[in-house]
Parts: sequence; structure tokens; C-alpha cells
Amino acid sequence: MKSFWYKAFRSKEGSIIVVLIFLELFSVLFVDNYTNISNIQLLLRAIPSLGVVSLGVCILMIAGEFDLSVGSTFALGSMVGALFINQGLNIWLCFIVVLVIGAVIGAVNGFVTVKTKIPSFIATLGAMMLWRGIVLVVSDGKTIPFPLTDRFKMIFNGKVGPIASQFIWLIIFTVVFWLILNRMKFGNWIFSTGGNIRVAKAMGINTDRVKVIVFIITGMMAAFGGLFDSTRIEVVHPLQGEGLALTAIAAVVIGGTKLTGGAGTILGTFLGASIVFTIKDILMLLRAPAYLFNAFVGVVIIFAVILNQFIGRRSIS
Amino acid sequence: MNMKGKIPLIEMKGIYKSFGYVEALKNLNFTIYKNESVGLVGDNGAGKSTLIKILSGLFSPTKGKILIEGKEVKLNSYSDSTNYGIETIYQDSAVVNEMDIARNIFLGRELVLALVFLNLKKMDKLSMEILNSIGIKGIGSSKRLVDELSGGQKQAVAIARAVQFKSKVLLLDEPTTSLSVKETRFVHDFIVKVKNIGISSVYVSHTISNVYDVVDRFVILRHGENVGEFIKEETSVEEISEILCSH
Repeated sequence: MKSFWYKAFRSKEGSIIVVLIFLELFSVLFVDNYTNISNIQLLLRAIPSLGVVSLGVCILMIAGEFDLSVGSTFALGSMVGALFINQGLNIWLCFIVVLVIGAVIGAVNGFVTVKTKIPSFIATLGAMMLWRGIVLVVSDGKTIPFPLTDRFKMIFNGKVGPIASQFIWLIIFTVVFWLILNRMKFGNWIFSTGGNIRVAKAMGINTDRVKVIVFIITGMMAAFGGLFDSTRIEVVHPLQGEGLALTAIAAVVIGGTKLTGGAGTILGTFLGASIVFTIKDILMLLRAPAYLFNAFVGVVIIFAVILNQFIGRRSIS
Repeated sequence: MNMKGKIPLIEMKGIYKSFGYVEALKNLNFTIYKNESVGLVGDNGAGKSTLIKILSGLFSPTKGKILIEGKEVKLNSYSDSTNYGIETIYQDSAVVNEMDIARNIFLGRELVLALVFLNLKKMDKLSMEILNSIGIKGIGSSKRLVDELSGGQKQAVAIARAVQFKSKVLLLDEPTTSLSVKETRFVHDFIVKVKNIGISSVYVSHTISNVYDVVDRFVILRHGENVGEFIKEETSVEEISEILCSH
């Protein structure tokens, strides 16, 4: 009988499970205070903002596209939301405005990509710079307070028992995205659009529509991530989310999603985002220079992709 | 050539297709009858792929008519074509490698339960039934990724899709070009099997030897024109090769 561990290692998330086990073993054995409840709570509050953005980036990459503008959307949504809150607008209306901003930016990215046929890498690179510029202009380069009502704070920055509510949101999103990708028609269409667009079109799937919808979801998730971050620190600063796109892509790739599209997993992305923050946490606890963060993430990406290929080859042979 | 008693399934009448100044098809007439396999042969640039793309709905003819079961139709998109029961299989597989077999077979026509969730159980069950019915052995489970299959098995999955959705005609555009001899035979067996269950096929190839064993009739294209049609029993490889090579 094939054991649970055998199945786990041979699964799509096999490589990331290996990386996670190594990382956790190392942390538990060699990093002081790693298992402290306060440290774990800190992790559970830090992971969700990257996690929700990565979920959107993951399905977009499976559909064969990139969005480099998620970091700018992350900042712009919250920035506009904060400005409205400070003008006295109802915080729940502001919440909707933030999501609409994310959706509109995603829709623009999607339409530009599918209508002009330029690579999304280029389209969203331009969008990243455009929206970041607008954030800087709107904020005048200054940090803006993000005042919260008690109920809003409880829902988006509270706790359910010992667990941060943001982490519960992340789990809910992970389950929803998993269901969309693995149990719904639309998930099939996303995989086929990224995996073999000619076949997808041949089977009557409107691949342009699929891509635009996925871009919109990605934009909304980026805006949601920005909201998480802003409610956590209760301010919005104009450089918030800078470099986020590459960190999210790193989390997604560590999680086993292919850069070429057509393959990827939601659970892997969830674990990938967790690993990225675990590395940050370990470096902080070890009092290592913060500049080392990218170097470690880079090593993990390479290690995870090599493992992925190895496991993939073994499965096929 | 006597086709008396045969019922036309698809008729292309007076088809022209131009790309700028280049005429890819010129006054082409081509008929596919019910329950037959046609070998569409011709050298590179003869117009075979253009003809297939017109029938697949990817190109519209510049001029001419297409009739399906006697009714004039417009094939403006791939889905138009599949709706009329025409399924196309390419040389590099009409499948998505990173998806499992059942999801590939039902792609675009997924079976759903309430609340838009996929009926995976039924999709798996029907996929296995269809694979077994056309004799595809050794696959094990329809939950296997297509990427794990051999080239011949991948083509067989695409053929299974056509069978599942009761296609009337399979267009096979050089389906064995990248396959080994053994796998080519494997695919040829399926072409014969689907004919036996009433699905016609058009097998496109630039070499006669490739299609000779599996087709009933040959249509030869040259420079965008139909230059000859032959029933297999009334011709030979040599005769067709001679026509193919003549100018």
C-alpha cells in the first residue's frame, strides 16, 4: 500500500512539502523563539497580504499571463480608500471602492493584453509604473492614515481565538480558489487556456474572456491584499507593495506553478507564500541582515523548481 | 469513380481561398461521404491544410459553398465546426498535457452538478467507458495526466473525445507525423475502429504510404485544385504516387 508520505511527495505540491519540512525542521532546531506563540501569531498576521495576492497571481500564471502591476494596485486601492475614509465616506463603501479599483485595473490589464496581443509582462510593466506614479501624485509622497471602525478592525485585523482573522480570510480564499480551479468548469478553462490555447479555442472556450476575468480577479486580490496590509499597520504609504509582484511570483513558483502556464496548484501557492514569510521570519529571529532576504528566497526558488522537475520526471517515467 | 449509393455528409462546392495575391484553393470540390475514410494527399503547398482549416472554421472561404447533410452552412468558428460534428486532430496532439484524460475529453463540454461544480465521477466513468469501447488499453485511470501518455495514446484521447461527442467527421491533420512506427499503427487502428462505429474521417498526409492502409478513397490536391479521386480498390500506391509527383 502506498503510504501517505509517498503520495504527498509524488503530488503536485511534493517539492514544496519537502522544502517546508526542511525549513520547519531547521527553524525548530536552530532558531531561538521560533516556536514561541507570539512569533507564530506574527507569522499568521504577516502571511495573508502576500498570500491573497499570490492566489490571484497563481491563477493568472496558470492561464499563461503575468501581472507585474499587483504591487501598484495593492497601494493604489488602499490609498484611494484611505483618502475617502479621511473625507468621511463610510468605511464599507470605501471597501467596495478599493475592490472596484482592483477590478478596473485588472480589466484594463486584461483588455490591453488580449486586444493588442502584446505580452502581459510588458502591458503590466507599464501599468505598474503608471499606477505607482498615480499613487505618488495622489499621496504627494506622504503616508496617509487608514482609520478603522471597530467592526472593520475586528473583521480584517482581529482574532478568532488565537488566530489572526486575516489568516482565516486567507484560508477561505484558498479554499474558494481551490474549488474554482479544481472543481469548476472555469478552472478547466483556465488550465486549458494556459496549457494549450489552440485546443482551448478549438473546444469553444473564449480564451480572451477567460484571461480578462482572471486579470480582474488578480486585480481584486491585489487590492484586497493592500487592504489587509493597510488595516494591519493602519496607514498607507506610497511605496507600499513595491517589489510585491516579484515576491508573489516567487511564492507561486516555489508552490509549483509553471512560468510557462497550464500548471500550478493553489495549495502550493498557499504554502509558497508561507515559506517566503517563514524565511523572512527566520532571518529576523537570527538577526541576519534584512538584505539577505532576497538571496534566500532566490535559493529556495531554484531548489523548489529543481525538485519539481525531478518529481515531474519521476512521475512520467 | 463510382460513388453511387453513398450519402454525402459534407460537400465543398467551388471553394476558393485567397491570401492576398496567393490563391490557396481554386474552384475546389470535395465530398466526404457517410461512413468512409478519405485520404487527402498532396505535396507541401497543395492546399490540404487550408481545406482542413476551412472545415474547422478557422478560415472562411473566399468563395464557394459548404453543405452538411445537404444543408448549406457557414463555419465561422471552431465551435461552429464542432457543433456540426466536425472534430479536428492535429499532428502535435489536440490535448492539454497538464490536464487529466477525463478533463481533456470533456473540455469545453464539461458535465456539471448543481452550483456549477464538475461531475467528476461521471466524467471519469464515461471517459473510461469510451476509452475501453475503442480499445485503448494500458491507460489505467482517466485521472492520469495526459502528459504521462505516449504520443499515440494522446492522439487516442483526442479521438475518444470525438467519439464521446458523437462527431460525424474526424479531420486528422498529419496525426502521426511525430509518432513512432508502433504508435502510428496504434493510431491507425483507432481510425479504423471509429469508422466501424459510423464516424467518417479525413486523413491528411503528404505521403501516400502513410494513409494507404487506413483509407477507402483518395483525393489528390495540387496547387489548390482537386486533381483526382480514387477508390482504393481501383488504384495502386504507384498510380497515386505518379500523380502526386507529376507537374
